Amino acid sequence: MEGNIWISGVIYGLSMGSIFFLLAVGLSLCFGLMRIISLDQLLYYSLGAYIAYTVETAIHQPWLSVLSGALAAGIASLVVERWVFYRIYARELTFTMITSFGILIGGVGAIKYVWGLIPRPASIPVDIQVSILGTPVPVYRLIIVAIAAGVYVAIQIVLNRTVIGKAIRAAVEDVDQVEGLGVDVYRLFTLTFVGAGMLSGLAGALHAPLVMVDPQMGLEVVPFVFMVVIIGGLGSIKGTLVSAFLVGQVVSLGSLIYAPLAQMAPFVAMLMVLLVKPTGLYGSPLLRR
Amino acid sequence: MSNTCDPAMRDLEANVPSLKRTLAERMLGTLKWWVGILVPFGVLGLAGWILPLPFVMEVLIFSIYTMACNFLLGRLGFISFGQPAYLAAGAYGTAFYLYYFGTDPYMGIVAGVLAGFVVSALAGAVFVRLRSDYFALVNLALTVIVFYMLQKVLAPITHGDNGLWFLDRMRNTPVLDITNPRQLALLIWLVAVALWAFYKYIDGTIFGACCLATKTNEDKVKFLGYNDFAIRWTGFVLANTTAALAGSLYGIYFGFVSPEMASAARAADPVVVTILGGTGTLYGPLVGALAYVGMKDLVSRLVGNWEFFVGLLLVTVMLAGEKGIWGTLQPIAQRWVGRWVSESRE
Repeated sequence: MEGNIWISGVIYGLSMGSIFFLLAVGLSLCFGLMRIISLDQLLYYSLGAYIAYTVETAIHQPWLSVLSGALAAGIASLVVERWVFYRIYARELTFTMITSFGILIGGVGAIKYVWGLIPRPASIPVDIQVSILGTPVPVYRLIIVAIAAGVYVAIQIVLNRTVIGKAIRAAVEDVDQVEGLGVDVYRLFTLTFVGAGMLSGLAGALHAPLVMVDPQMGLEVVPFVFMVVIIGGLGSIKGTLVSAFLVGQVVSLGSLIYAPLAQMAPFVAMLMVLLVKPTGLYGSPLLRR
Repeated sequence: MSNTCDPAMRDLEANVPSLKRTLAERMLGTLKWWVGILVPFGVLGLAGWILPLPFVMEVLIFSIYTMACNFLLGRLGFISFGQPAYLAAGAYGTAFYLYYFGTDPYMGIVAGVLAGFVVSALAGAVFVRLRSDYFALVNLALTVIVFYMLQKVLAPITHGDNGLWFLDRMRNTPVLDITNPRQLALLIWLVAVALWAFYKYIDGTIFGACCLATKTNEDKVKFLGYNDFAIRWTGFVLANTTAALAGSLYGIYFGFVSPEMASAARAADPVVVTILGGTGTLYGPLVGALAYVGMKDLVSRLVGNWEFFVGLLLVTVMLAGEKGIWGTLQPIAQRWVGRWVSESRE
């Protein structure tokens, strides 16, 4: 019995970590490449969840609805990028942070206007359970972990094997140099931003069945996502992966030990990491401002 | 003396008249600043008789809360997403005193300010080493930790989500009776005016100049022989003690505190209001608080979702050059005042 709780705790932590990873990797990429802090990723997360929920209730196609959630988030991020971020890439970090916070708040207001204030339950696409070492584990959570792992591999392949990915990596090191080579860096920026928005939307659409869909859901995960990015080191994909699963486990296993710990422990961990190593676990000292 | 071969010397001499002029301007400024206080706060004080009293109190307390953030952001260059932690420290300091120990609300306010001072002095010693965005995030972490401390860990004394009610425990006080809403509003008004004058005074002192200098170039400040850690720490403690005072006034005003005060969802409010009003400007907090509370009140009554409009306004303000509402209005107002002064002279 005791062991069962721990196994399901670990699985729960893994799926939370996957969601955190999908959300944080966009933020981290945006920071690494464009030097912006894009809080509005959390808006695409809620939007993805809401679109997935709406499509699901309309046509009862779970995976199609997840896909449409991610696509809608991508379109929304494209619009925001064109209208707002395109004008402010050159500004300092805190400026983009506050502007994107304005977008986040405005978007939450718009969501409240369209879908109302009441939290909605979204249905789970796969509600089978498999037994791992005698513990029933929902398959859906395992699928989320698999998707996150797939996304990680895909990002690594794109960044390491394609021309665009190599240009992005080079631009993380030195934007001016890459621009000097004749690469249209603003196209790279748009591409990265929309990619990040789609990943956030995917995270929202996948997370929707596990939590209730409600307008505040984006604001609720802000602290956790930030924490993941900070612990991992801004701009590092690998660091984001490690810290996302770390935070997922701390939240999940912490709550098994002592319930209030679930929300607090990750912040204590972040405080420790920041005070000891201000660049995060994998943050390169080059990226320090 | 006038060895004009040295370009640095020549620069210095060229600058001396402008130094004199700024001194004259500053003297003129000290003459004008009484007017500066009296007009906006007088208008708001008068509005207390017309507008609903809770609204005016809310605006005044919020503007105190924002003044702290304005000082951090505009003078020290610290962006903090952790102001609710200090707000809650003040509120709970007051609440603990009034719920468990005494009945004198003034002592309660003192207790709240002391609690805020202790918390910010301890946190500041660790935090002020970090810069901009990291600073914002460790403060956010502190807010979340304070929230769960109040809600869960310290639940036996804080009564968790039920909060502490102490409205009927407050004793009547002789001069300004806090238990009377109108006199409480007067007290809050006086505190706001005093703080405004205090921050105005700080701006003119060497300490104020040092704060601005650490924001612009910390290495130069060190080079000039100032202890930049001490400057930032003092500024941080000053600002967050002010935030605690705002929290303490909130506590007295509601007669009730709950962990909701330290909620991370409200963490960006003071920063948003500071920027809405105009960062670093003196009237910014007042204008921002008025716009924010007013909009929240009015829009939520008319349309229902104020977030959308606040977000829209924030993005617009940022894209329009982050000068904020007051930063945009100030040149216009100055031109008006200038015209009015010159006309009345003729």
